[in-house]
Amino acid sequence: MNAPLRPILVALGSEARALRLIQAGFRLARERSVPWIAVHVDMGGGQITEDAEQAQVWLQEAQRLGAEIRIVRAPTLAQGLTEATRGTHAQALLLGRSRDRWPWARVGHSTADELQRRGLDTAIEVLDDPGDAAGGNQPPLGFGAMVGMLSVLGACSGLAWLVPREGNIALVLPVYLAAVTFIAHRWGQGLAVLASVLSTLLYSFLLETPRFSRGAAQWPNLLFFLAMLLAAQAVIGLLHRLRAQAREVQRREMHTASLYLLGRALARCRTPEEVGQTASEHIRRVFKVEACLLLPKVGTWKAVPPPSLDPGLPPPEDLLPRLSVEERLGDPLEPLAFGPTYCLSLTGTDRSEGVLQVLPRDPAGLPPGTWELLKAFAVQIALALERLRWLEEARKAQIESETERMRSSLLGAIGHDLRTPLAAIHGAAGSLLLPGQLSEPTRRDLLTMIQDESERLAHLLGNLLDLTRLESGAIQVQKEWQPLEEVVGSALGRMEKRQGGLPIHVDLPEALPLVPLDAALIEQLLVNLLTNAQRHAPGEAIDLRAWDESGCIHLEVADRGPGIPEGFEQRIFDKFFRLPGAGEGGVGLGLAICRAIAQSHGGTILAGNRPGGGSRFTVTLPLDGTPPEPPEAADSVFPGGAEPTLPGGAL
Amino acid sequence: MNQPLILIIEDEESLRRFLIPTLSGQQYQVLSAATAAEGLAMARTHNPDLVLLDLGLPDRDGMSVLKDLRAWSRKPVVILSARNQERDKVAALDQGADDYLAKPFGAAELLARIRVALRHTLSADVADPVICSGGLRIDLERREISQGGRPVKLTALEYRLLEALVRRQGKVATHSQLLSEVWGPGGEGNTHYLRIYMAMLRKKLEVDPTRPRHFITEPNVGYRLNLDASSD
Repeated sequence: MNAPLRPILVALGSEARALRLIQAGFRLARERSVPWIAVHVDMGGGQITEDAEQAQVWLQEAQRLGAEIRIVRAPTLAQGLTEATRGTHAQALLLGRSRDRWPWARVGHSTADELQRRGLDTAIEVLDDPGDAAGGNQPPLGFGAMVGMLSVLGACSGLAWLVPREGNIALVLPVYLAAVTFIAHRWGQGLAVLASVLSTLLYSFLLETPRFSRGAAQWPNLLFFLAMLLAAQAVIGLLHRLRAQAREVQRREMHTASLYLLGRALARCRTPEEVGQTASEHIRRVFKVEACLLLPKVGTWKAVPPPSLDPGLPPPEDLLPRLSVEERLGDPLEPLAFGPTYCLSLTGTDRSEGVLQVLPRDPAGLPPGTWELLKAFAVQIALALERLRWLEEARKAQIESETERMRSSLLGAIGHDLRTPLAAIHGAAGSLLLPGQLSEPTRRDLLTMIQDESERLAHLLGNLLDLTRLESGAIQVQKEWQPLEEVVGSALGRMEKRQGGLPIHVDLPEALPLVPLDAALIEQLLVNLLTNAQRHAPGEAIDLRAWDESGCIHLEVADRGPGIPEGFEQRIFDKFFRLPGAGEGGVGLGLAICRAIAQSHGGTILAGNRPGGGSRFTVTLPLDGTPPEPPEAADSVFPGGAEPTLPGGAL
Repeated sequence: MNQPLILIIEDEESLRRFLIPTLSGQQYQVLSAATAAEGLAMARTHNPDLVLLDLGLPDRDGMSVLKDLRAWSRKPVVILSARNQERDKVAALDQGADDYLAKPFGAAELLARIRVALRHTLSADVADPVICSGGLRIDLERREISQGGRPVKLTALEYRLLEALVRRQGKVATHSQLLSEVWGPGGEGNTHYLRIYMAMLRKKLEVDPTRPRHFITEPNVGYRLNLDASSD
C-alpha cells in the first residue's frame, strides 16, 4: 500500500555514463511520482581516489536534480547495493552494465545477476551503453547479405584451396576467422554464426583429406567451429566498444572545442549586441539551428541580433519568472518550447540576463544529445552578459563616487564664496531697514552693493550649473556653421554690458571660414577667458585674435598680466584651482568651464605665457564636417531709394 | 490713454514681491497669479495689455498656457525663463511669445522689454516709417538707409532681413522666424544663410561689426534690432 512511495535507487560509479543513469533515474522517478536516491558504493574503504572524487561530482549532479544521495561502504558492489536496496525499500534499482568483462563472462556473473540471486524484492533495470545499443542494432538479414556472406566464404575457400593441404589447419584457420569477423562486422552476428557453421562444413568437406570424408563431425572440427564462433564474438565486442568510445571521444572533443571557441569569442565582446551576434553565429554553426538572444527591456524584449525568432513571446516580466520556475520544477533535461522555438534562461551568478531562443531547422526539435551542450553554451553567454553588466555597473559606480568626491570638494570650496556675498547682501539690507535716516549716498552705496553682490552670486551659481551640466553631458552641443565674428560680437557685448567699455583689441581676418560651433557655449568660453584676462591684468589691453590653420580655427585671448607660473599650465584648468596669491574674485571654475566647452566641441584649450609678458589662452576648434552651401549669389543690389519694387519670389 | 494693465503669471512669491512694486512704481496697473489656471482666468476676465509668463509653473507647462492665450489674444506675452533654456525660449517665441527675459534679470532690463513689447502693440497702426538710432537711419517708406550720414546700398535679401527686424521694433526674432520671413517657407534649415547675411548687414550698418550696437545676437535664439543705441 505504501508501494508508490518506495523510491527509485540509482547506482552511480565514477564512469561517464553515470550521467545517463542520473537522467534515467530522474525520468523514472518523475514518471512514477516517487522520490529517488542516488547511491554510490565505496569499495575503497573511504580513501579519496580519483574515482571517488568523480563519483562525488555525479552525486552532486543527482542532488541538483532532486535526488537524495547516499554513500555505502562495502567490499563488493553487489553487497553494497543489496544493503542500500534493503535499507531504502526501493521499488527499482537502476544500474549500468559493467563493461570490463568479456562477453562470455557477462552471462550469470554481472552485478545484476548477483543481486537477482540475493532475492531482492526490487526490479533491477540495467542500462545499456549507447555503444551497446548501437551494437544491438543489427542490419537486416537480406538476400544481399546472404549472397555477400556466401561470396566471402567462397573466396576464402578458394584461397584455402591454394594452400598445401597436408594438415595445415593452422594456415587455413586465420583465413576463415578473418572472413567470419568481417561478416560479423558487416552483416551482424546472426550471419556470423551461420558463417562459422558453414566454414566448418566447408573446411571439413572441401579441404580436409580425404575429401568429402565423413569424418567431418570429428571432434577437432567441432573444436574448430567453436573457436571460430568465440573469436568472432570477442572481436565484434571489442570493435563495438572501440567504435562507441571513439564516437564518444569525438563528441566530447567537439563539445570542448566548441565551448572553448565560444568562450574565447565571447571574451572579446564589448557590448551585449556583440555577445548576441557571436553567440548566434556559434550556435548556428555547432547546432545547425537559428538562435538569438532576447534581452529584457522594460515591458518588451530586445532581440540581438534582430529579429526575434518568435515575436509572440510573453513579455520579460512574465517569461523570466516562468523560465526560472520551469528550471526548478520542470524537466531540466528538456528545453522549454514556445511555438516552434525553444527558450533557455541565461542565468548568471545572481539573476537571469535574458533568454536564449533557438529555432531548430528540423521541426521535430533539437537533435538528441545536444541539449546539454546548448545549456553549457547558455551558461557561457550568461556569464559574458553578466561580465558586461558588471563592467557597466562598476563604471557607473566610479562615476558616482567621482561625482560624490567632486560634490564634497565643491561644497567645501564654494561655501566661502557663497557666504561672502550673502553676508554682504544680508548686512546691507539690514542696515537699510534700520530706523533712522541714512544719508542718500550711503543708501545708494548699500543698494549698489546688494546689486553687485547678488550678481556675483548669480554668476557663481551660473558657472557651477554650467560646469555640472557640461560634465554630466546634460548640455547637448548644438553645433551650427556660423561666422566667428558673430559669437565674438555677442561675447564682447556681454562683457561691455557687465563692465562698460573695455580695452579689447579684436583681430579677426576678413576671410575666416564658417565654424561649426554652439554659439551660446563659445560665447560663454570667450566671456570666461576675457573675464579671466581682465581680472589678472586690470586696465591692461586684451588681445583677441583668430586664425585658420590646418583644418582648425584658433582663437587666442592674450593679456599683459603677471602670466602663468611654470608648471601650472595644466592645473589652472582644474576645478576650484586658483593660482597661489591670486586675489579675490573667481572661484576657479571659469577656466574649467572653458576646457569643458572646448572639449565638448572636440577641441582643445592651452595656456601659456606670451612673449613680452602676460598669459595667453589658445582655443582650437576643429572644422570638421562639410561646410554648408554658401547662399546663392542671385541677390541683386537693391539701390536705396531708387526702385521700390522688390524682386518677387523667395529664394 | 489708461495705464497699461500687466498680468504677472509667476509662482514664486519672491519674484512677485519684486515685480509688483517695480511695475506699479512705473505707473502700470498690475495683476498677479501664482498658477496657470488662475492666470488664464484673470487673463480672460481682465484682458491685460501685456502678460509676464513664467515657463515653470506648478500646475501646467508654461508653453501650453501660452498656446491657450494665443488662441484668443494677440496681446504681447513676455516669457520669464531660467537660464540656459534656449530650446524653451525659442519654442516659446515661435509659439507667439513676444520676448523673453532670462532669470535673474534686473529691473532696468525688465522695464525696457516691457516698453518695447507695449510700444509694438500700441503703435502697431501708426508705425513710424523713419527709425533713427545711433548713427543708423532707416526710412522704410522711401527705402533709404544711411549710416553716419552716408547712404548705404543693400541687396534685396539684406533689405528684407533688415525690414523683418525693424518690423519687430526691438523684440527678439528667432532664427526660424527670420528665415521663413526672408527666404520663405522651406528656408528654415539654412540658419547659416541668415548668419552670413547678418554679418553683411553688420558690415554695412555697424561702426564696428565685431561690437554690434544695433544687430544684437541672442545666442542660439535669434537676433534683435536694438533701436535705443546711444550715438557712437
